[in-house]
Amino acid sequence: MLRRRSDLPLDRDPSGRYLPWLVAVMVFLAALALVCAMAMNKVVQRWDQGLSGSITIQIPPPAETSTAAANEMAIDRIIDILLDTDGIIIAEVLEPDEIAELLKPWLGTEAISQDLPLPMLIAVVLDPRTSPDLGRLARQLDEAVPGTLLDDHQSWLGELLSLARSIELLAALVLALVGSCAIAMVIFATRMGLAIHGQIIELLHLIGAQDSYVAAEFQSHALKLALRGGVLGLLLALITLVAVARLMSRVESALFPEFSLQPLEWSLLALLPLAIALVAMLTARWTVLRTLGRMP
Amino acid sequence: MVRFEDVAVRYGAGPEVLRNVSFHLEPGSFHFMAGPSGAGKSSLLKLMYLAQQTNHGRIRLFGRDVTGLSRKDRAITRRRIGVVFQDFRLLDHLSALENVALPLKIGGQREDKIREHVAELLAWVGLGEQINAFPPTLSGGQQQRVAIARAVVARPSLLLADEPTGNVDDRIAVRLLYLFEELNKLGTTILIATHNESLVSRFNHPVLRLKDGKVRLFRDSASGHLQPGKGSAA
Repeated sequence: MLRRRSDLPLDRDPSGRYLPWLVAVMVFLAALALVCAMAMNKVVQRWDQGLSGSITIQIPPPAETSTAAANEMAIDRIIDILLDTDGIIIAEVLEPDEIAELLKPWLGTEAISQDLPLPMLIAVVLDPRTSPDLGRLARQLDEAVPGTLLDDHQSWLGELLSLARSIELLAALVLALVGSCAIAMVIFATRMGLAIHGQIIELLHLIGAQDSYVAAEFQSHALKLALRGGVLGLLLALITLVAVARLMSRVESALFPEFSLQPLEWSLLALLPLAIALVAMLTARWTVLRTLGRMP
Repeated sequence: MVRFEDVAVRYGAGPEVLRNVSFHLEPGSFHFMAGPSGAGKSSLLKLMYLAQQTNHGRIRLFGRDVTGLSRKDRAITRRRIGVVFQDFRLLDHLSALENVALPLKIGGQREDKIREHVAELLAWVGLGEQINAFPPTLSGGQQQRVAIARAVVARPSLLLADEPTGNVDDRIAVRLLYLFEELNKLGTTILIATHNESLVSRFNHPVLRLKDGKVRLFRDSASGHLQPGKGSAA
Protein backbone atom coordinates (compact mmCIF):
# COMPACT_ATOMS: atom_id res chain seq x y z
CA MET A 1 0.00 0.00 0.00
CA LEU A 2 2.82 2.38 0.83
CA ARG A 3 5.07 1.43 -2.03
CA ARG A 4 2.58 1.24 -4.84
CA ARG A 5 1.90 4.94 -5.05
CA SER A 6 4.84 7.11 -6.04
CA ASP A 7 5.71 10.06 -3.81
CA LEU A 8 5.73 12.18 -6.96
CA PRO A 9 2.55 12.08 -9.08
CA LEU A 10 4.56 11.63 -12.29
CA ASP A 11 1.80 9.52 -13.88
CA ARG A 12 -0.26 12.69 -14.32
CA ASP A 13 2.48 14.49 -16.27
CA PRO A 14 2.06 15.09 -20.03
CA SER A 15 5.18 12.96 -20.58
CA GLY A 16 3.24 9.94 -19.35
CA ARG A 17 0.96 10.25 -22.38
CA TYR A 18 3.41 10.94 -25.22
CA LEU A 19 6.61 9.20 -24.12
CA PRO A 20 5.42 5.57 -24.57
CA TRP A 21 4.17 6.32 -28.10
CA LEU A 22 7.41 8.00 -29.13
CA VAL A 23 9.42 5.13 -27.69
CA ALA A 24 7.14 2.69 -29.54
CA VAL A 25 7.88 4.41 -32.87
CA MET A 26 11.60 4.38 -32.17
CA VAL A 27 11.69 0.72 -31.18
CA PHE A 28 9.62 -0.08 -34.27
CA LEU A 29 12.19 1.62 -36.52
CA ALA A 30 15.11 0.10 -34.64
CA ALA A 31 13.62 -3.40 -34.89
CA LEU A 32 13.10 -3.09 -38.64
CA ALA A 33 16.64 -1.76 -39.13
CA LEU A 34 18.05 -4.58 -37.04
CA VAL A 35 16.13 -7.25 -38.95
CA CYS A 36 17.26 -5.78 -42.30
CA ALA A 37 20.87 -5.87 -41.17
CA MET A 38 20.54 -9.43 -39.86
CA ALA A 39 18.82 -10.65 -43.03
CA MET A 40 21.43 -9.06 -45.28
CA ASN A 41 24.25 -10.48 -43.23
CA LYS A 42 22.68 -13.90 -43.49
CA VAL A 43 22.43 -13.71 -47.30
CA VAL A 44 26.05 -12.69 -47.63
CA GLN A 45 27.18 -15.46 -45.30
CA ARG A 46 25.16 -18.00 -47.26
CA TRP A 47 26.59 -16.94 -50.60
CA ASP A 48 30.09 -16.60 -49.22
CA GLN A 49 30.04 -20.10 -47.71
CA GLY A 50 28.42 -21.60 -50.79
CA LEU A 51 30.83 -20.07 -53.27
CA SER A 52 34.19 -20.11 -51.55
CA GLY A 53 36.53 -22.74 -53.00
CA SER A 54 34.55 -23.06 -56.21
CA ILE A 55 34.50 -21.52 -59.67
CA THR A 56 32.08 -21.80 -62.56
CA ILE A 57 33.09 -22.23 -66.16
CA GLN A 58 30.57 -20.83 -68.58
CA ILE A 59 30.78 -22.04 -72.20
CA PRO A 60 28.76 -19.86 -74.58
CA PRO A 61 25.49 -21.37 -75.82
CA PRO A 62 25.96 -23.44 -78.99
CA ALA A 63 25.17 -21.76 -82.26
CA GLU A 64 22.04 -22.95 -83.98
CA THR A 65 24.15 -24.35 -86.81
CA SER A 66 26.55 -26.28 -84.57
CA THR A 67 26.09 -30.00 -84.15
CA ALA A 68 25.81 -31.93 -80.91
CA ALA A 69 29.17 -33.55 -81.67
CA ALA A 70 30.85 -30.15 -81.91
CA ASN A 71 29.39 -29.14 -78.59
CA GLU A 72 30.61 -32.35 -76.99
CA MET A 73 34.10 -31.68 -78.36
CA ALA A 74 34.15 -28.16 -76.92
CA ILE A 75 33.18 -29.49 -73.50
CA ASP A 76 35.81 -32.23 -73.71
CA ARG A 77 38.53 -29.68 -74.54
CA ILE A 78 37.58 -27.62 -71.50
CA ILE A 79 37.38 -30.66 -69.23
CA ASP A 80 40.80 -31.84 -70.42
CA ILE A 81 42.37 -28.50 -69.58
CA LEU A 82 40.68 -28.46 -66.16
CA LEU A 83 41.80 -31.98 -65.30
CA ASP A 84 45.37 -31.17 -66.34
CA THR A 85 45.44 -28.19 -64.02
CA ASP A 86 46.83 -28.66 -60.49
CA GLY A 87 44.54 -27.65 -57.62
CA ILE A 88 41.25 -28.76 -59.19
CA ILE A 89 39.46 -31.55 -57.35
CA ILE A 90 36.16 -31.86 -59.23
CA ALA A 91 34.93 -30.59 -62.60
CA GLU A 92 31.30 -31.47 -63.19
CA VAL A 93 29.32 -30.63 -66.31
CA LEU A 94 25.81 -29.50 -65.40
CA GLU A 95 22.97 -31.06 -67.39
CA PRO A 96 20.50 -28.69 -69.11
CA ASP A 97 17.83 -29.75 -66.61
CA GLU A 98 20.09 -28.78 -63.71
CA ILE A 99 20.84 -25.42 -65.34
CA ALA A 100 17.14 -24.81 -65.83
CA GLU A 101 16.54 -25.72 -62.19
CA LEU A 102 19.20 -23.24 -61.08
CA LEU A 103 17.67 -20.48 -63.17
CA LYS A 104 14.09 -21.21 -62.18
CA PRO A 105 14.05 -19.03 -59.02
CA TRP A 106 15.48 -16.13 -60.99
CA LEU A 107 13.53 -16.37 -64.22
CA GLY A 108 10.53 -18.46 -63.22
CA THR A 109 9.36 -21.66 -64.94
CA GLU A 110 7.57 -19.88 -67.75
CA ALA A 111 10.62 -18.13 -69.19
CA ILE A 112 12.76 -21.26 -69.47
CA SER A 113 11.87 -23.37 -72.44
CA GLN A 114 13.66 -25.56 -74.85
CA ASP A 115 14.05 -22.62 -77.23
CA LEU A 116 15.91 -20.42 -74.76
CA PRO A 117 19.63 -20.65 -75.52
CA LEU A 118 21.37 -21.52 -72.27
CA PRO A 119 25.13 -21.53 -71.75
CA MET A 120 26.82 -24.77 -70.76
CA LEU A 121 28.12 -24.71 -67.21
CA ILE A 122 30.88 -26.64 -65.49
CA ALA A 123 31.03 -26.50 -61.71
CA VAL A 124 34.62 -26.73 -60.48
CA VAL A 125 35.71 -27.45 -56.92
CA LEU A 126 39.17 -26.15 -56.03
CA ASP A 127 41.68 -27.66 -53.67
CA PRO A 128 41.93 -25.13 -50.83
CA ARG A 129 45.60 -26.08 -50.29
CA THR A 130 46.87 -25.52 -53.85
CA SER A 131 44.65 -23.06 -55.61
CA PRO A 132 45.45 -22.74 -59.36
CA ASP A 133 46.39 -19.52 -61.15
CA LEU A 134 42.87 -18.54 -62.22
CA GLY A 135 44.01 -15.79 -64.61
CA ARG A 136 46.17 -18.18 -66.56
CA LEU A 137 43.46 -20.84 -66.55
CA ALA A 138 40.91 -18.33 -67.87
CA ARG A 139 43.21 -17.47 -70.78
CA GLN A 140 43.78 -21.16 -71.55
CA LEU A 141 40.06 -21.87 -71.59
CA ASP A 142 39.29 -18.88 -73.80
CA GLU A 143 41.94 -19.99 -76.27
CA ALA A 144 40.55 -23.53 -76.35
CA VAL A 145 36.91 -22.46 -76.80
CA PRO A 146 36.54 -18.75 -77.60
CA GLY A 147 34.00 -16.96 -75.40
CA THR A 148 34.44 -19.31 -72.43
CA LEU A 149 34.26 -17.44 -69.13
CA LEU A 150 35.74 -18.32 -65.76
CA ASP A 151 33.71 -16.89 -62.93
CA ASP A 152 35.27 -16.94 -59.48
CA HIS A 153 32.20 -15.01 -58.12
CA GLN A 154 34.46 -12.53 -56.34
CA SER A 155 33.35 -9.55 -58.34
CA TRP A 156 29.65 -9.58 -57.47
CA LEU A 157 30.20 -11.23 -54.10
CA GLY A 158 32.39 -8.25 -53.24
CA GLU A 159 29.62 -5.87 -54.26
CA LEU A 160 27.12 -7.89 -52.25
CA LEU A 161 29.40 -7.73 -49.23
CA SER A 162 29.79 -4.00 -49.64
CA LEU A 163 25.99 -3.62 -49.85
CA ALA A 164 25.57 -5.73 -46.74
CA ARG A 165 28.12 -3.64 -44.85
CA SER A 166 26.32 -0.46 -45.93
CA ILE A 167 23.00 -1.81 -44.68
CA GLU A 168 24.62 -2.84 -41.40
CA LEU A 169 26.10 0.62 -41.08
CA LEU A 170 22.72 2.16 -41.81
CA ALA A 171 21.11 -0.07 -39.18
CA ALA A 172 23.76 0.95 -36.65
CA LEU A 173 23.08 4.59 -37.55
CA VAL A 174 19.33 4.10 -37.04
CA LEU A 175 19.99 2.45 -33.67
CA ALA A 176 22.30 5.29 -32.65
CA LEU A 177 19.71 7.88 -33.73
CA VAL A 178 16.95 6.05 -31.88
CA GLY A 179 19.12 5.90 -28.76
CA SER A 180 19.97 9.61 -29.03
CA CYS A 181 16.32 10.55 -29.53
CA ALA A 182 15.32 8.43 -26.52
CA ILE A 183 17.94 10.15 -24.39
CA ALA A 184 16.86 13.62 -25.54
CA MET A 185 13.17 12.85 -24.92
CA VAL A 186 13.78 11.46 -21.46
CA ILE A 187 15.96 14.46 -20.53
CA PHE A 188 13.19 16.80 -21.68
CA ALA A 189 10.44 14.85 -19.88
CA THR A 190 12.51 14.60 -16.70
CA ARG A 191 13.31 18.31 -16.64
CA MET A 192 9.64 19.05 -17.17
CA GLY A 193 8.77 16.72 -14.28
CA LEU A 194 11.34 18.41 -12.04
CA ALA A 195 9.81 21.80 -12.84
CA ILE A 196 6.21 20.63 -12.36
CA HIS A 197 6.89 18.89 -9.06
CA GLY A 198 9.41 21.38 -7.67
CA GLN A 199 7.42 21.97 -4.50
CA ILE A 200 6.98 18.28 -3.71
CA ILE A 201 10.67 17.66 -4.36
CA GLU A 202 11.53 20.52 -2.01
CA LEU A 203 9.29 18.97 0.64
CA LEU A 204 10.92 15.55 0.20
CA HIS A 205 14.30 17.22 0.66
CA LEU A 206 13.09 18.98 3.81
CA ILE A 207 11.91 15.66 5.21
CA GLY A 208 15.38 14.24 4.61
CA ALA A 209 15.28 12.72 1.15
CA GLN A 210 18.56 12.65 -0.70
CA ASP A 211 18.81 13.45 -4.40
CA SER A 212 19.12 9.73 -5.13
CA TYR A 213 15.67 9.15 -3.53
CA VAL A 214 14.10 11.70 -5.88
CA ALA A 215 16.09 10.25 -8.79
CA ALA A 216 14.72 6.79 -7.96
CA GLU A 217 11.18 8.10 -8.41
CA PHE A 218 11.99 9.52 -11.84
CA GLN A 219 14.03 6.57 -13.01
CA SER A 220 11.36 4.00 -12.15
CA HIS A 221 8.77 6.17 -13.92
CA ALA A 222 10.97 6.46 -17.04
CA LEU A 223 11.68 2.72 -16.96
CA LYS A 224 7.97 1.92 -16.79
CA LEU A 225 7.02 4.28 -19.63
CA ALA A 226 9.89 3.23 -21.91
CA LEU A 227 9.25 -0.46 -21.30
CA ARG A 228 5.57 -0.01 -22.10
CA GLY A 229 6.39 1.88 -25.31
CA GLY A 230 9.20 -0.49 -26.21
CA VAL A 231 7.01 -3.59 -25.98
CA LEU A 232 4.33 -1.88 -28.05
CA GLY A 233 6.90 -0.87 -30.70
CA LEU A 234 8.32 -4.39 -30.83
CA LEU A 235 4.85 -5.88 -31.25
CA LEU A 236 4.13 -3.51 -34.14
CA ALA A 237 7.48 -4.40 -35.71
CA LEU A 238 6.76 -8.14 -35.39
CA ILE A 239 3.37 -7.72 -37.04
CA THR A 240 5.04 -5.82 -39.87
CA LEU A 241 7.77 -8.43 -40.25
CA VAL A 242 5.25 -11.28 -40.38
CA ALA A 243 3.32 -9.40 -43.07
CA VAL A 244 6.50 -8.78 -45.09
CA ALA A 245 7.54 -12.44 -44.71
CA ARG A 246 4.17 -13.57 -46.08
CA LEU A 247 4.44 -11.21 -49.03
CA MET A 248 7.95 -12.44 -49.80
CA SER A 249 6.94 -16.09 -49.61
CA ARG A 250 4.54 -15.45 -52.48
CA VAL A 251 7.35 -14.15 -54.73
CA GLU A 252 9.10 -17.05 -56.46
CA SER A 253 12.61 -15.72 -56.60
CA ALA A 254 16.02 -16.19 -55.07
CA LEU A 255 16.60 -12.45 -55.19
CA PHE A 256 15.05 -12.11 -51.74
CA PRO A 257 16.78 -13.68 -48.79
CA GLU A 258 15.19 -16.44 -46.80
CA PHE A 259 13.24 -14.71 -44.07
CA SER A 260 13.75 -16.58 -40.83
CA LEU A 261 15.38 -15.61 -37.58
CA GLN A 262 17.53 -17.77 -35.31
CA PRO A 263 16.92 -17.86 -31.53
CA LEU A 264 19.88 -15.53 -30.98
CA GLU A 265 18.42 -13.03 -33.41
CA TRP A 266 15.03 -13.23 -31.73
CA SER A 267 16.78 -12.57 -28.43
CA LEU A 268 18.44 -9.49 -29.89
CA LEU A 269 15.06 -8.18 -31.00
CA ALA A 270 13.52 -8.93 -27.63
CA LEU A 271 16.35 -7.04 -25.97
CA LEU A 272 15.46 -3.83 -27.82
CA PRO A 273 12.66 -2.70 -25.45
CA LEU A 274 14.78 -3.68 -22.46
CA ALA A 275 17.77 -1.77 -23.82
CA ILE A 276 15.77 1.38 -24.50
CA ALA A 277 14.10 1.11 -21.08
CA LEU A 278 17.51 0.84 -19.48
CA VAL A 279 18.75 3.87 -21.43
CA ALA A 280 15.64 5.82 -20.36
CA MET A 281 16.10 4.83 -16.73
CA LEU A 282 19.77 5.79 -16.58
CA THR A 283 19.11 9.04 -18.45
CA ALA A 284 16.34 10.03 -16.02
CA ARG A 285 18.58 9.27 -13.06
CA TRP A 286 21.49 11.21 -14.52
CA THR A 287 19.26 14.20 -15.36
CA VAL A 288 17.77 14.39 -11.86
CA LEU A 289 21.09 14.02 -10.08
CA ARG A 290 22.74 16.60 -12.35
CA THR A 291 19.88 19.11 -12.06
CA LEU A 292 19.47 18.78 -8.29
CA GLY A 293 23.23 18.71 -7.77
CA ARG A 294 23.46 22.21 -9.24
CA MET A 295 21.07 23.56 -6.62
CA PRO A 296 22.50 25.24 -3.51
CA MET B 1 21.38 21.09 20.41
CA VAL B 2 20.71 24.37 18.59
CA ARG B 3 23.17 27.23 18.79
CA PHE B 4 22.91 30.49 16.85
CA GLU B 5 25.94 32.76 16.93
CA ASP B 6 25.48 36.32 15.67
CA VAL B 7 23.24 35.19 12.82
CA ALA B 8 21.85 37.67 10.32
CA VAL B 9 19.49 37.09 7.38
CA ARG B 10 18.30 39.40 4.66
CA TYR B 11 16.39 38.67 1.45
CA GLY B 12 17.99 40.21 -1.59
CA ALA B 13 18.82 43.83 -1.08
CA GLY B 14 16.11 44.30 1.56
CA PRO B 15 16.60 45.05 5.24
CA GLU B 16 17.81 42.38 7.63
CA VAL B 17 14.96 40.13 8.74
CA LEU B 18 17.09 38.76 11.55
CA ARG B 19 20.16 40.45 12.97
CA ASN B 20 22.71 39.63 15.64
CA VAL B 21 20.68 36.59 16.68
CA SER B 22 22.43 34.48 19.26
CA PHE B 23 20.80 31.85 21.45
CA HIS B 24 21.19 28.30 22.56
CA LEU B 25 18.53 25.61 22.97
CA GLU B 26 19.73 22.77 25.14
CA PRO B 27 18.94 19.16 24.30
CA GLY B 28 15.53 18.09 25.60
CA SER B 29 14.28 21.65 26.07
CA PHE B 30 10.80 22.94 25.14
CA HIS B 31 10.42 26.47 23.89
CA PHE B 32 7.74 28.62 22.38
CA MET B 33 8.64 31.28 19.88
CA ALA B 34 6.40 34.31 19.79
CA GLY B 35 6.40 37.62 18.04
CA PRO B 36 4.31 39.76 15.73
CA SER B 37 3.85 38.88 12.07
CA GLY B 38 6.95 39.70 10.05
CA ALA B 39 9.20 39.52 13.10
CA GLY B 40 11.22 36.72 11.48
CA LYS B 41 9.76 33.60 13.12
CA SER B 42 9.46 31.68 9.86
CA SER B 43 12.94 32.76 8.77
CA LEU B 44 14.37 31.56 12.06
CA LEU B 45 12.65 28.19 11.65
CA LYS B 46 13.86 27.93 8.04
CA LEU B 47 17.40 28.44 9.23
CA MET B 48 16.91 25.60 11.70
CA TYR B 49 15.53 23.15 9.18
CA LEU B 50 18.28 24.14 6.73
CA ALA B 51 16.05 25.69 4.10
CA GLN B 52 17.67 29.09 4.43
CA GLN B 53 21.26 30.28 4.34
CA THR B 54 22.63 32.86 6.73
CA ASN B 55 24.14 36.10 5.51
CA HIS B 56 26.23 36.29 8.61
CA GLY B 57 27.05 34.23 11.67
CA ARG B 58 27.15 30.56 12.43
CA ILE B 59 24.56 27.89 13.28
CA ARG B 60 25.36 24.68 15.09
CA LEU B 61 22.88 21.78 15.19
CA PHE B 62 23.49 18.60 17.13
CA GLY B 63 26.99 19.83 17.94
CA ARG B 64 27.93 20.43 14.31
CA ASP B 65 28.36 23.59 12.26
CA VAL B 66 25.69 23.38 9.54
CA THR B 67 26.43 26.56 7.62
CA GLY B 68 28.45 24.81 4.91
CA LEU B 69 26.98 21.30 4.84
CA SER B 70 27.00 19.30 1.60
CA ARG B 71 23.62 18.31 0.10
CA LYS B 72 24.07 14.76 1.34
CA ASP B 73 24.94 15.77 4.89
CA ARG B 74 22.09 18.28 4.90
CA ALA B 75 19.64 15.49 4.03
CA ILE B 76 21.01 13.28 6.80
CA THR B 77 20.79 16.15 9.31
CA ARG B 78 17.22 16.95 8.26
CA ARG B 79 16.13 13.41 9.13
CA ARG B 80 16.75 14.32 12.77
CA ILE B 81 14.44 17.32 12.48
CA GLY B 82 10.64 17.15 12.37
CA VAL B 83 8.89 20.17 10.89
CA VAL B 84 5.23 21.21 11.06
CA PHE B 85 4.78 23.75 8.29
CA GLN B 86 2.32 26.59 8.64
CA ASP B 87 0.70 25.62 5.34
CA PHE B 88 0.94 21.89 6.21
CA ARG B 89 2.56 20.97 2.87
CA LEU B 90 0.77 17.66 2.57
CA LEU B 91 0.91 15.73 -0.70
CA ASP B 92 -2.60 15.73 -2.13
CA HIS B 93 -2.13 12.53 -4.13
CA LEU B 94 -1.13 10.52 -1.07
CA SER B 95 -3.46 9.30 1.68
CA ALA B 96 -3.11 10.54 5.25
CA LEU B 97 -1.30 7.32 6.10
CA GLU B 98 1.09 7.67 3.16
CA ASN B 99 1.78 11.32 4.00
CA VAL B 100 2.62 10.48 7.59
CA ALA B 101 4.71 7.51 6.48
CA LEU B 102 6.97 9.61 4.23
CA PRO B 103 9.76 10.31 6.77
CA LEU B 104 9.91 6.62 7.67
CA LYS B 105 9.93 5.58 4.03
CA ILE B 106 12.69 8.07 3.25
CA GLY B 107 14.56 6.78 6.28
CA GLY B 108 14.38 3.28 4.77
CA GLN B 109 12.17 1.61 7.38
CA ARG B 110 10.35 -1.64 6.65
CA GLU B 111 6.89 -1.31 5.16
CA ASP B 112 5.05 -3.58 7.60
CA LYS B 113 6.41 -1.67 10.60
CA ILE B 114 5.63 1.65 8.97
CA ARG B 115 1.96 0.88 8.48
CA GLU B 116 1.38 -0.34 12.00
CA HIS B 117 3.22 2.55 13.59
CA VAL B 118 1.63 5.23 11.42
CA ALA B 119 -1.92 3.92 11.86
CA GLU B 120 -1.41 3.98 15.62
CA LEU B 121 -0.13 7.57 15.54
CA LEU B 122 -2.99 8.76 13.34
CA ALA B 123 -5.46 7.19 15.77
CA TRP B 124 -3.73 9.07 18.58
CA VAL B 125 -4.24 12.43 16.87
CA GLY B 126 -7.90 11.54 16.32
CA LEU B 127 -7.67 10.51 12.67
CA GLY B 128 -8.04 6.75 13.05
CA GLU B 129 -11.04 6.78 10.73
CA GLN B 130 -9.32 8.89 8.09
CA ILE B 131 -6.09 7.00 7.47
CA ASN B 132 -7.00 6.37 3.83
CA ALA B 133 -8.47 9.81 3.22
CA PHE B 134 -6.70 12.24 0.91
CA PRO B 135 -5.80 15.73 2.17
CA PRO B 136 -8.27 17.62 -0.06
CA THR B 137 -11.10 15.70 1.60
CA LEU B 138 -9.93 16.61 5.13
CA SER B 139 -10.76 19.77 7.06
CA GLY B 140 -8.05 22.31 7.87
CA GLY B 141 -7.75 20.99 11.41
CA GLN B 142 -7.50 17.41 10.22
CA GLN B 143 -4.83 18.34 7.70
CA GLN B 144 -2.90 20.08 10.43
CA ARG B 145 -2.99 16.95 12.57
CA VAL B 146 -1.73 14.88 9.64
CA ALA B 147 1.11 17.38 9.24
CA ILE B 148 1.92 17.11 12.95
CA ALA B 149 1.83 13.32 12.82
CA ARG B 150 4.24 13.41 9.86
CA ALA B 151 6.60 15.68 11.79
CA VAL B 152 6.73 13.48 14.87
CA VAL B 153 6.46 10.00 13.36
CA ALA B 154 10.20 9.43 13.03
CA ARG B 155 10.82 10.54 16.65
CA PRO B 156 13.03 13.48 15.64
CA SER B 157 15.72 14.91 17.91
CA LEU B 158 14.43 18.40 17.15
CA LEU B 159 10.83 19.33 16.41
CA LEU B 160 10.05 22.69 14.85
CA ALA B 161 6.44 23.75 14.46
CA ASP B 162 5.16 26.85 12.73
CA GLU B 163 1.72 27.73 14.11
CA PRO B 164 0.81 24.06 14.67
CA THR B 165 -2.47 24.87 16.37
CA GLY B 166 -3.62 27.65 14.07
CA ASN B 167 -6.48 25.70 12.51
CA VAL B 168 -7.79 23.63 15.40
CA ASP B 169 -10.10 24.41 18.28
CA ASP B 170 -8.72 24.87 21.81
CA ARG B 171 -9.53 21.30 22.86
CA ILE B 172 -7.53 19.81 19.96
CA ALA B 173 -4.80 22.45 20.41
CA VAL B 174 -4.29 21.41 24.01
CA ARG B 175 -4.32 17.76 23.03
CA LEU B 176 -1.64 18.42 20.37
CA LEU B 177 0.47 20.34 22.86
CA TYR B 178 0.28 17.33 25.16
CA LEU B 179 1.54 15.21 22.28
CA PHE B 180 4.49 17.56 21.90
CA GLU B 181 5.15 17.38 25.62
CA GLU B 182 5.08 13.57 25.50
CA LEU B 183 7.62 13.72 22.71
CA ASN B 184 9.66 16.19 24.73
CA LYS B 185 9.71 13.77 27.65
CA LEU B 186 11.19 11.18 25.31
CA GLY B 187 14.10 13.56 24.68
CA THR B 188 13.02 15.58 21.65
CA THR B 189 13.94 19.25 21.71
CA ILE B 190 10.89 21.29 20.77
CA LEU B 191 10.40 24.78 19.42
CA ILE B 192 6.90 25.97 18.61
CA ALA B 193 6.22 29.24 16.84
CA THR B 194 2.76 30.50 17.74
CA HIS B 195 0.54 33.54 17.99
CA ASN B 196 -1.60 31.85 20.61
CA GLU B 197 -0.54 33.65 23.81
CA SER B 198 -3.10 31.82 25.94
CA LEU B 199 -1.60 28.52 24.92
CA VAL B 200 1.88 29.84 25.67
CA SER B 201 0.86 30.96 29.15
CA ARG B 202 -1.08 27.75 29.82
CA PHE B 203 1.92 25.48 29.23
CA ASN B 204 4.47 27.79 30.78
CA HIS B 205 7.56 26.92 28.80
CA PRO B 206 10.38 29.37 28.03
CA VAL B 207 9.62 31.77 25.22
CA LEU B 208 11.87 33.13 22.48
CA ARG B 209 10.41 36.53 21.65
CA LEU B 210 11.23 38.07 18.31
CA LYS B 211 10.97 41.77 17.79
CA ASP B 212 12.57 43.91 15.08
CA GLY B 213 14.69 41.00 13.95
CA LYS B 214 16.16 40.36 17.40
CA VAL B 215 15.56 37.48 19.80
CA ARG B 216 15.15 37.55 23.56
CA LEU B 217 14.59 34.53 25.74
CA PHE B 218 12.08 34.64 28.58
CA ARG B 219 12.22 31.82 31.09
CA ASP B 220 8.76 32.45 32.46
CA SER B 221 6.18 32.95 29.76
CA ALA B 222 3.59 34.27 32.16
CA SER B 223 5.71 37.05 33.64
CA GLY B 224 7.59 37.85 30.43
CA HIS B 225 10.80 38.41 32.43
CA LEU B 226 14.14 37.32 31.09
CA GLN B 227 15.38 34.56 33.33
CA PRO B 228 18.05 31.90 32.99
CA GLY B 229 16.63 28.53 31.99
CA LYS B 230 17.39 25.53 29.84
CA GLY B 231 17.95 27.91 26.95
CA SER B 232 19.87 31.14 26.85
CA ALA B 233 19.98 34.15 24.60
CA ALA B 234 22.35 37.01 24.10
